[in-house]
Amino acid sequence: MRLLSEGAEAKIYLVSIFGTLLLVKKRHAKPYRASQLDIMLRKMRTKKEAHAMLVAKNAGVSVPAVYATGSDEIYMELVKGKLMRDSAFDRKIIADVGIELAKLHSAGIAHGDFTPANILLTDKGVCIIDFGLAEPNAGIEEKAIDLLLMKRSLSKEFYLLFENAYAKAYANSSAVLRRLAEIEKRGRYQARTIANV
Amino acid sequence: MLVLGIESSAHTFGVGIVKDGEVIANEKSMYSIGTHGMLPSRVAEFHAKVAKKVIGNALQKAGVKIKEIEGIGYTKGPGIGTCLQIGLLAAKTLAYRLNVPIAPVNHAVAHIEIAKHFGKLKDPIALYVSGGNSQILKLDKLSMRYRVLGETLDIGVGNMLDSFARSANLDPAWGSTVERVAKGGSYMAMPYTVKGMDFTFTGLLTYAKRQIGKARIEDLCYSLQETAYAMLCEATERALLLTKSKELCVCGGVAQSTRLKEMLAKLASLHRTKFGYAPNEFNADNGAMIAYVAEKALKSGHAEKLDACTITQKYRIENAEVYI
Repeated sequence: MRLLSEGAEAKIYLVSIFGTLLLVKKRHAKPYRASQLDIMLRKMRTKKEAHAMLVAKNAGVSVPAVYATGSDEIYMELVKGKLMRDSAFDRKIIADVGIELAKLHSAGIAHGDFTPANILLTDKGVCIIDFGLAEPNAGIEEKAIDLLLMKRSLSKEFYLLFENAYAKAYANSSAVLRRLAEIEKRGRYQARTIANV
Repeated sequence: MLVLGIESSAHTFGVGIVKDGEVIANEKSMYSIGTHGMLPSRVAEFHAKVAKKVIGNALQKAGVKIKEIEGIGYTKGPGIGTCLQIGLLAAKTLAYRLNVPIAPVNHAVAHIEIAKHFGKLKDPIALYVSGGNSQILKLDKLSMRYRVLGETLDIGVGNMLDSFARSANLDPAWGSTVERVAKGGSYMAMPYTVKGMDFTFTGLLTYAKRQIGKARIEDLCYSLQETAYAMLCEATERALLLTKSKELCVCGGVAQSTRLKEMLAKLASLHRTKFGYAPNEFNADNGAMIAYVAEKALKSGHAEKLDACTITQKYRIENAEVYI
C-alpha cells in the first residue's frame, strides 16, 4: 500500500489486489474530535461518497468505478490521466466537461468541489474524481455552486463554452443559471475570493 | 514608542499601553450583560462613564504619565456604532490634547496580531472566533491584507453558545458556562454543517434549543460544544493543508475555551504545525491589542489625520491594511 496523496479528510493509497492496481480512499480517525462524532462522520461521508459515485456511474457519467466499500474506505478504479488543472486543454475538452456536469446534475448529484483540480483528462475523455463533498440529493443551490466554482477557475471565454455545453445538455439548466446569478449578487461573494485550488 | 490603545467595540471598554512592542498595561471595564443582553445606547453610556477611570488605571499600571504617551490607537470597527463612537471620542481628545499621532485599528486584525505576538508566530493560519465573528484567515503578503479563507455563513460561534445558554437558563458568562456544564455530558448526534472551509451554526442552535427539557442539559452542552468546535477544526484543517502553512493561531473571545484550544493543539500536532495563542486576557476584547497594532502603524508612518478619524460598523478585515 503506497500513500499517493493526503487531503484534509482522507488519504489516497495505491494498492495491488490480485495483480490489479486500485485506489483506496481512506478516512482516518481525527483524534481532535469526540470519537462518537468522528466515527459517525467518517461512516456517513464514506457511504454518501460511494453512493454518489455509483449513481453517477449508472447514469453514464465518466467517474472511477467503485469496487468495494468499508465503513471508512472506498476501493475504486485507478483512472490514468492528467489533472485538468495541470494540463493544456482545448474547446472540445471544455465542452465535454460541461456535458459531464450536465449528466451528473441530471442524475440529481452535485459534486460539491467542481474545479479543474478534480477533473482528469484521459485517453478516453474527461473523468470526474473526488466525490468527497458530493450531494446525491442535490438542490438547485448546490448545483449552482458547482458552476460558480468553475466560473472562478476558468477564463471568461472558456467558462462560457463550458456553460453553453452544460445548458444544452441539462433540461433544468435555466433554473440553475438563475440561481447562480443570485448567488453572485450576495455580498459575501463580492468581497471575497474563493480559493480555487 | 509609547502608545495607548482604546478598545470599545462591544461590552468592554479597554485601555492598553504598549512600549516598543511589549504590553505594559491592559486595563478594562466590562458592561454587565445580565440577562438582558446589550442595549447599544446603555453600553455606550457605560463606556462614557468609565473611560476616564480605565485610562487612569492603565497609566498607573504602566507607571507612565499621560504626557509621556507618544501615540494613540483606537478601534475603528467592526463593532456597535454607539460604543465605537465613545472610543473614538476619547482617542481623538487624547491625541488632540497631547498633540500626538493617532492610528485607527481594525478590531479583527488586532486580535490576530496580538495572538501572533504572544504565540511567537510569523505567518500563521488564524482561527478568529468570538461572539459575532468566526473566520479562518491568512495574511496575503502582496496586498498586506488578511484574506478570508473560510467563515461562518450565518452567526458567530460565540453568539450561538450564548443564545443556547440563555434559552437553557444557564448563568451569564455564557460560553464558559456551557463549557463547565459540558464536563459531565456524553455525546448525542447533532446537525453538523461544514461546506469546504465555511460552516453554519443556526441549524445546530435550533436543534439544540428544541432539545432543552427533553435531554440532559450536560449532554446538550457537551454535544453542542463538541459539534461546533469539531466543525471549526475541520474547516481549519482544510485551510492548513490548502495553504501548506505550518503555523496556526486561535484568537478572539471564544479562544478562551480550554476545550477548543485542546482540540486545535491535537489538530496542529497531527500536521506537525506550530500552534500558538495569547493569554486569555488578550483573547477577550482588550485595549493592549489595539495599542500593539497602532504602534506598528505609527512607526511605519501610517498615522491618520485627526479630522479623518472615523468609525465603520461593518469594517471588513479584507479592507484593512496590515503594517508589520
